[in-house]
Order: sequence, then structure tokens, then C-alpha cells
Amino acid sequence: MPLPQTTHLIIRNDVTELPALTSAMERVAAEHGMPEKSLFQLQVALDEVVSNVIKYAWPEGGTHEIEIHIAARHDGVEVEIIDDGRMFDPHDAPQRDKPQAAQRPRPGGLGLQMTKQLVDRIGYTRLGNRNHTTLTKLCALGPPGSGRTTT
Amino acid sequence: MNKTALRMEDSHAGSVCILSIGGRIDSANAADLLDRLNGLFSSGEKTILLDFKEVLYLTSAAFRVLLVVTDEAERNEARVVLCGLAGQARELFEMGGLLEAFTVHGSREDALGRL
Repeated sequence: MPLPQTTHLIIRNDVTELPALTSAMERVAAEHGMPEKSLFQLQVALDEVVSNVIKYAWPEGGTHEIEIHIAARHDGVEVEIIDDGRMFDPHDAPQRDKPQAAQRPRPGGLGLQMTKQLVDRIGYTRLGNRNHTTLTKLCALGPPGSGRTTT
Repeated sequence: MNKTALRMEDSHAGSVCILSIGGRIDSANAADLLDRLNGLFSSGEKTILLDFKEVLYLTSAAFRVLLVVTDEAERNEARVVLCGLAGQARELFEMGGLLEAFTVHGSREDALGRL
């Protein structure tokens, strides 16, 4: 199948579901020869964004679904994360607290600060009652089956 | 078990407890690292050397655990020291501005020579 090629998955809002996403990303990367460094950077960014959705999107609790589309293209991988939780545009996230002198930095805001450095583009739209967040990692991909693990 | 799954193995060099970590540390498994470290401190360890040599990548969930455990250790006159930071793992520490937040030595041998 020619690129682009898309993989879809749905996970529940529970961190124990994250390994399913991690494995799906690993499979897509292997299939399309995604460089390891690009894959790891996208994995870190995805973990930050999806774990934020799990933690904060539904303050009332309950079981909810998060829909994920992983699109492999010639020039990189774009992952779209869709949830029907409360509105959250990652661009509006508060800046990270400045560490006080002689004090260990606090982790608040660290995840999104890192995400911005790890991917090439962060997109956001609210469509109806759903957040659509996209992370784009640019890198050269080969045709399907060109990954190192298939040789 | 795939190659990126979190692996942890502890050993001793004199009074130093070495925890070798491998694979990825993320939101799904950071609690396992926290439990393991809390377990080692509860069993009376005073100095824990975390060897990151085999770590592929880590997310802010891992940094949160490291910050919490390091603070907690200091309050209990114990300490957490890091070594073996290389490649992507080191870049992530730098990206988070966190290299200075911890005591970091080069290789495991360097670290043991200083502890």
C-alpha cells in the first residue's frame, strides 16, 4: 500500500492503555523505516499529550474513549488524538514555573515544554464537542516494508 | 516482552545500591520505578545509584518520579545519584533543563569512584 497509510486505534482513559499506543507506534515505525531517534521523540511527545488527556480531560471521572490516528507519510508521521473531554488547546498551556534559586525545578508544565521541542508541529482544533490535537514529526520514510526489522 | 519495555535490576557495590534501568520510562510504567525505589529505601538503602546506560527514552512522568524520590531521599539523609546518561536520554534531561537538578556522574565506574 502506498503512503500515506493510516493506523487507527481507540484506547480508554487509563494509563494502563498507553502501551497499546506505544506498540502501535513501534509497528508503524518498523514498517516504514522511521529513524529511531524520530520515533523516540514522537513517543515522548505522545506520552505527554495523551497522559494529559487521561489526567485532565474528564474532571468528573468515568470511562471515556480516546481515538488515535497515526498517519505515515513520505515526509514524516502525524498523529491525531481525539477526545470529547473539556476543551484544551496545548498552545494555551501555562508556561512552566521558573525554578527558585537553589531549589530543585518543579515538574509542572515540563511535559508540554518538552513536547514543543520534540515535534515539528502541534495542531489543535475543537470540532463539535471534541478536541483534535495533532503532533507532526518530520522525517524521511521509506515505502512500507522498508523498515530495518523486516530485513 | 519487547526491547523498549522497562527493565530494572539491582545489585550492590559496597554500601551503594545500583539500580540498572533499561528500555523506556513513561506514564504507563513510571509508577513501577517509583515503587522499586521506595522499596529499596524502605529496606534501608542510603545511597542509590541509578544507571541509565540502557535507557532508550524517558518522559516527564519519569522526571516527576526522580524529582520526588530525590527530595524524599534528602529529607531522610539518603541520596539518589545518576550515571550512564547518554544519547537520547541525556538529550531529554537537557531539554527539560534537569541535568543540574540531580547529582550526575559519567559512567558507573566514575560514579562508584566518587561515592
